[in-house]
Amino acid sequence: MFEKILYQSWWKVLTILLLSFTCVYGFWVKIPLLPILEESIRNLFFHVPMWFSMMFLMLMSLIFSLKYLVSFDSKSDVYASNFAVVGFLMGCLGILTGMVWAKVTWGAWWVFAEVKLNAAAAALLVYSAYFILRSSFVDAELKAKFSAVYSIFAFVMFMVFINVIPRLATSSLHPGNGGNPGFNSYDLDNHLRLVFYPAILGWIGIGFWLSSQLIRINLIKRKIDDID
Amino acid sequence: MSIGNIIHLIRKEAILELRNKAILASMLIYVIGASFIVYFAFQGQIEFQVWAAIFWVIILFSATNIIGKTFDKEVRFQYNYLRTVVHPIELIISKLLYNAILIFVFELVVFLEMLLFFGVDIDNMPLFFLTLFLGGIGFSNLFTLFSTITSRTGNVVLLSVLGFPIILPLLLLILRLTGISEVDVLSTDTNVNIGAVVVLDLITAALSLVLFPYLWNE
Repeated sequence: MFEKILYQSWWKVLTILLLSFTCVYGFWVKIPLLPILEESIRNLFFHVPMWFSMMFLMLMSLIFSLKYLVSFDSKSDVYASNFAVVGFLMGCLGILTGMVWAKVTWGAWWVFAEVKLNAAAAALLVYSAYFILRSSFVDAELKAKFSAVYSIFAFVMFMVFINVIPRLATSSLHPGNGGNPGFNSYDLDNHLRLVFYPAILGWIGIGFWLSSQLIRINLIKRKIDDID
Repeated sequence: MSIGNIIHLIRKEAILELRNKAILASMLIYVIGASFIVYFAFQGQIEFQVWAAIFWVIILFSATNIIGKTFDKEVRFQYNYLRTVVHPIELIISKLLYNAILIFVFELVVFLEMLLFFGVDIDNMPLFFLTLFLGGIGFSNLFTLFSTITSRTGNVVLLSVLGFPIILPLLLLILRLTGISEVDVLSTDTNVNIGAVVVLDLITAALSLVLFPYLWNE
């Protein structure tokens, strides 16, 4: 059932539409002019949805890792690892767009006082360890099994880094935390929302699309190698 | 699953450890050497915050070394025998407990060493020892499961690569607890931190117990 979705085209068309809308209307929409943020608020349509996309892809990776541990079907391992690859890419893009935003608003590419930055970097380290682990095994079955177990840990820690530690922290430079100028979830006006929600879906869609391409390449490789 | 088996397994670990004293002794010299180098590098003068950071870094490095050897103590076919007589959960519980005790002992050694060299005063001793205890359990929970994974690869640095990013939240909480065990902060804050460490310990222990059987059975 799930495999069929990879080959369907309706959600790809939808992704193209949503992302074109984001990229065109995102630069056009009337924004609330807030001090310091000013025009850089448009990064909201790129930086924030990338983290949503990463979370979605890592969740898919987790689901297929769990599925592997239940069924020991090596196809699930293909799914899990490729979702993680694209999730990692989205995380890197999220960090890069965030750094540009930080330079414009906070005046530095990297700020130690900012918990979310460091937690996100640590989360990326966790997943890079996942790829190193995968490359350390020769035996495909051991690789699949052990990396599935590790990816469960990785996801739990990813959630701790992204969702728990920033909330425990007393101060943050991110909008909506502490007493800094900017916007929080209540300031998001309807013009911004009109682009923000499609942007989330669009970025999730393109992450899913990229990973589906990788998965399909790997499934074809398996056919060539006579595994399936 | 029985508690008797777990006790037997822990005793077996201890006997194996004592039979090959070279590893234990080398780890002891390792931590003593490390704190001695720090002593020289800082020329005996150190602020408490730096002291706490270095203390935990030494513990972290020695913990990876100690626990990295957990699954190298026995020969491969002894594991085949163990697979037939004990349940994987019993085995992992015994390994977790044994490693937690071992790390706690090493923490005490490093602590006494660093106390001797630098003579720091710790206001809240019970809190400090509680942190040592809970931290040791957390380290043991994470590194023991990962050493199962890495012992199969032959890649010696892999345990650090896997473990360090994942240990970070625990380490941050522990550092905060150690940091504030000298400075008085509102007690509620400390309790929240202790609670968070306990929760992390429980999560890692639960994950180890659930996931180890998958790694153990062939």
